[in-house]
Amino acid sequence: MNSISLDNTLPNVFLGRTDIESQIWRQQVSFERGKTYLIEAQSGTGKSSLCSFIIGYRKDFDGRILFDGKDSSRYGVSDWIELRQKHISLLFQELRLFPELTAMENVEIKNSLTHHKQRKEIERWFEALGIAEKTDAPVRLMSFGQQQRVAMIRALVQPFDFLLADEPISHLDDVNSKAMADIMTEEAKRQGAGIIITSIGKHMDLPYDKMYSL
Amino acid sequence: MNLVWKLLRRHISLPQLAGFFFANLLGMLIVLLSLQFYKDVKPIFSEEDGFIRPDYLILSKRISALNTIGLGSVSTFSEREMNELASQPFAKRVGAFTASQYKVSCSMGINGVAQFGTEMFFESVPDAFVDIDLQKWHFSEEDEVVPIILPKTYLAIYNFGFAQSQHLPKISEGVAGMVEMTVSMRGNGLNEYIKGRVIGFSTRLNTILVPESFIKWSNERYAPEAETEPSRIILEVNNPADAAIVNYINERGYELEDDKLDAGRVTFFLRLTSAIVMGIGLLISLLSFYILMLSIYLLVEKNSDKMRTLLLIGYSPARVALPYQLLTIGINAAVLVLAIIALVILRSLYMKQLWSVFPKMSDGSILPAILLGIGLFIIVSIANCIVVRRRINRIWNNKD
Repeated sequence: MNSISLDNTLPNVFLGRTDIESQIWRQQVSFERGKTYLIEAQSGTGKSSLCSFIIGYRKDFDGRILFDGKDSSRYGVSDWIELRQKHISLLFQELRLFPELTAMENVEIKNSLTHHKQRKEIERWFEALGIAEKTDAPVRLMSFGQQQRVAMIRALVQPFDFLLADEPISHLDDVNSKAMADIMTEEAKRQGAGIIITSIGKHMDLPYDKMYSL
Repeated sequence: MNLVWKLLRRHISLPQLAGFFFANLLGMLIVLLSLQFYKDVKPIFSEEDGFIRPDYLILSKRISALNTIGLGSVSTFSEREMNELASQPFAKRVGAFTASQYKVSCSMGINGVAQFGTEMFFESVPDAFVDIDLQKWHFSEEDEVVPIILPKTYLAIYNFGFAQSQHLPKISEGVAGMVEMTVSMRGNGLNEYIKGRVIGFSTRLNTILVPESFIKWSNERYAPEAETEPSRIILEVNNPADAAIVNYINERGYELEDDKLDAGRVTFFLRLTSAIVMGIGLLISLLSFYILMLSIYLLVEKNSDKMRTLLLIGYSPARVALPYQLLTIGINAAVLVLAIIALVILRSLYMKQLWSVFPKMSDGSILPAILLGIGLFIIVSIANCIVVRRRINRIWNNKD
């Protein structure tokens, strides 16, 4: 997949509103593979909705979202499954980890589906993000910041053309933010993928190709 | 798959699954057992008589109180009546029962020990009406043994009345040949003995049947002067269901010996009872299926968040549904296996009873019941899988 295009897209909940000033909603926007984007937003402007629309979790929007020019409304179940497994990886704002599994198991459950990474490589990321000693700890016993790093690793153990990170560093200090940014850009670069990051203030220090205000 | 199972097995309610398991087991067992019992017992009632074919009718004249005191119309068939009957379009062949005209008594015993003796009589029908190997059904003057066919009711009277009260061994049809009969015939100034050998039992003939050649020979020897008309006749027809037969018989005041009807009635009630029991079994199976569905609804409800996340990180609905589908298929398979084992055990118990009463009963097969069980297993499993998949699809479509 080389591009994600938004064609006059607007969440249904905003349909009646006339005061929307956004560089994303009701615009023609195209995200290209290999480039890095930042979407800055106020709370309640539909940032997480946008992520849900793109991975096909929600369809309550007006206008169109196109993948390589193909209308997403024509996507069937198997298309979405392929998109989620091979083309777009999403780091959820609410993380969506499984609290009853350990940190490693949370990553493995994804990796066993994609068989994308070796165990060694995953362990190296745990180390780089400073949570090596938490590998076998149940995720529910970890802090939100630690969980955020586990979720990031899970988002990386799959092939992707775009990495969608919804507020990836909201609970991280600068050192860990930097470590996360390095790993993320390294993996995206290796795959030749694009990165789309959303933020409501604190954002990763990356060489963005384009910044949007939602 | 292991991790997915580790996730999704949470909130599985063992009591609910056990409830489904036992209810389904009970339902399945009742269904299989009712079919098996019906299959096992049915042949006893619908067994065809080996000696007289079903399209042979046996006619007699109605006996009234007047006959008893010697005033009524004649209870025998004249030659004119028989010829008239033979000329009817529905009749193929007509034969007369010929009775012995001398005194007969016989004693029976097993292994040389005489058990009981009784006055009796013999009858014969033309050999062509007896459906038996004519080598066995044969008598000539030089023979020392006469073959005899007894009514089956005699066997029952002996086994359940006489033998029971006298602590004598019961006789099965299979060992009927072991019964030794000594027949004493008196008449014409003679008193002679001959051995009789029971070669079988008939449900359709209420008489003691011997070969026609024996009756001819013995009547000439012990009662040469006697000349009588038959009181019963045997009739071969083209179609036993022909209404013209019944009309003709009623018109003439004849009577039809028909025990087939009773067997038909018993078979009907057997089928009805089996169907009701099977219906109850199916109802229990259906209810158990509801228990499982409710259990799965609750399970999916409680685990819906995890399932949604699995779908969002790239798992297909089919893969998310698989653990629960395998679980239900596994339970159903265990139910099937246990039900078949229980069926075999229960069947061996009641078959023992049946064999002691009907020793000639064939062993039968449990294949139809097993096939029905497999059929039920497949239907229930497919239904379970569809229900699970539909719940997952609802999660996919964000309806839950």
